Amino acid sequence: MHCAPAALGDLSQYLEPYWRTYVHDGGVHLNPTQGGAYPPVVLTGATPASVEDLRTELLDPAGLRTAILNCTASFHCNRNPYYEAALTSAINDWLVGEWLPRDDRLRASMVVPTLDADAAVAEIERVGGHPGIVQVLLPVRTDVPWGNKRNHRLLAAAAEHGLVVGLHAWGRVGNAATPTGFTHSYLEDYLSNSQMIVQAQVTSLVTEGVFTRVPGLRVALLECGFSWLPTLLWRFDKDWKGVWREVPWLDGRPSEVVRRHIRLTTAPAHLPRDPAQVRQALDLLDLGALLMYASDHPHVHGDGGDRLLAALTEAERERVTGRNAEEWYGLA
Amino acid sequence: MAKLDEFPTGERRIVQVGQRTIGVFRVGDRFYAMNNYCPHMGGPLCEGRTKPWLSSAAPGEFVLDEQEALVACPWHGWEYDLATGQSFLGPGEPPARAYEVTVERGTPERIAGGRNGRRPGPYVAETFPVHVEDSYVVVDTSSRPVAAGAAGGER
Repeated sequence: MHCAPAALGDLSQYLEPYWRTYVHDGGVHLNPTQGGAYPPVVLTGATPASVEDLRTELLDPAGLRTAILNCTASFHCNRNPYYEAALTSAINDWLVGEWLPRDDRLRASMVVPTLDADAAVAEIERVGGHPGIVQVLLPVRTDVPWGNKRNHRLLAAAAEHGLVVGLHAWGRVGNAATPTGFTHSYLEDYLSNSQMIVQAQVTSLVTEGVFTRVPGLRVALLECGFSWLPTLLWRFDKDWKGVWREVPWLDGRPSEVVRRHIRLTTAPAHLPRDPAQVRQALDLLDLGALLMYASDHPHVHGDGGDRLLAALTEAERERVTGRNAEEWYGLA
Repeated sequence: MAKLDEFPTGERRIVQVGQRTIGVFRVGDRFYAMNNYCPHMGGPLCEGRTKPWLSSAAPGEFVLDEQEALVACPWHGWEYDLATGQSFLGPGEPPARAYEVTVERGTPERIAGGRNGRRPGPYVAETFPVHVEDSYVVVDTSSRPVAAGAAGGER
């Protein structure tokens, strides 16, 4: 689920005095709705800005045992790497200071600067050991794919702290909205964020061997869909057979590596209307074992998620709505 | 299929045996033979490059064996162990057919194996063992047991 400061003022006490003046003098804003990722009148409520909001809107009515807070407000930060480090630290301190102590059902994803891997590692070392922090949240839109060698130490630091690395839809508007470059339409942007860019990230993480270097690394794909996965992996396995010498550290089928190291969340669910076809889509890859329920509150993605839950067996539903995430995030 | 001293190490010969062709490889003092037919898509397997094993412990590390051990089909790069025909692309991938190679003294007639004046005909159907397993008829296309290449020092 999402949470976000209503405005930068909410973070003031967590920013050094210089950055308070920078925000003021530079006219820097913070947009709690992921930089305008959603159309202005879309039927999603305001992003919860306090524990009280979240309790009334979701935690109590849905009867949730555990919820993971994801604040993507820093995703569209400007390209000042020092400001990005200050902003992500402030968000983490805000999560630790104002959310985690107020409801024991809550866990949180920390955020890290995306322009400076050293600063990201330092931030993981600073707050990654907090018992309520279970994930390092990264935008799926990036300068270079996350599997790139320059990011390995960031990913390794997350694994060393027992944190899942979560790739979440969206990122800077200054990063291409598709794997092949920039677009002019919001339509392409929106479509790509929900399923296209993430395929480039999965391909990068597996191919670049980061799971060989960091065998304990666990990745979660958040708000990026999942029904695209079987076709990607089928072709990934096939092409790897012929050209494995280029990447000999990839010592098994890509589909096996993904099964060991990657999980996906249920929202949005791009699924057919016919329940039998939904079942077929799930069976292409035993998705009951790989999916973790996400409310994506307050965002609404239509009824695909309901169709998904309806198509699961009792045992699968128990896994998808609970056990898969408990195991992945060590929540039990 | 050839005299030993006319078959230097590192070379290969592709010979016609009946209706099929078989590639014979010499790696050091060992010989290997394989059906020139890739079980993947039927490519001319034995025209591909031979390669050593390669391993890696981490991204950016490459450890190449000294000895050639595999042949890669020139169509799609699928690689097969020269000694066993085994591919290493995961369970369920069919092995290429490997043939045993021996070095024998004698004349070409003796090697051809003629008996009682009769010579083996050119048509040999490729056969595979069949057995019944859990009510399924199973055709076994795995390679026949073969020594890991025959020593070729004797003349």
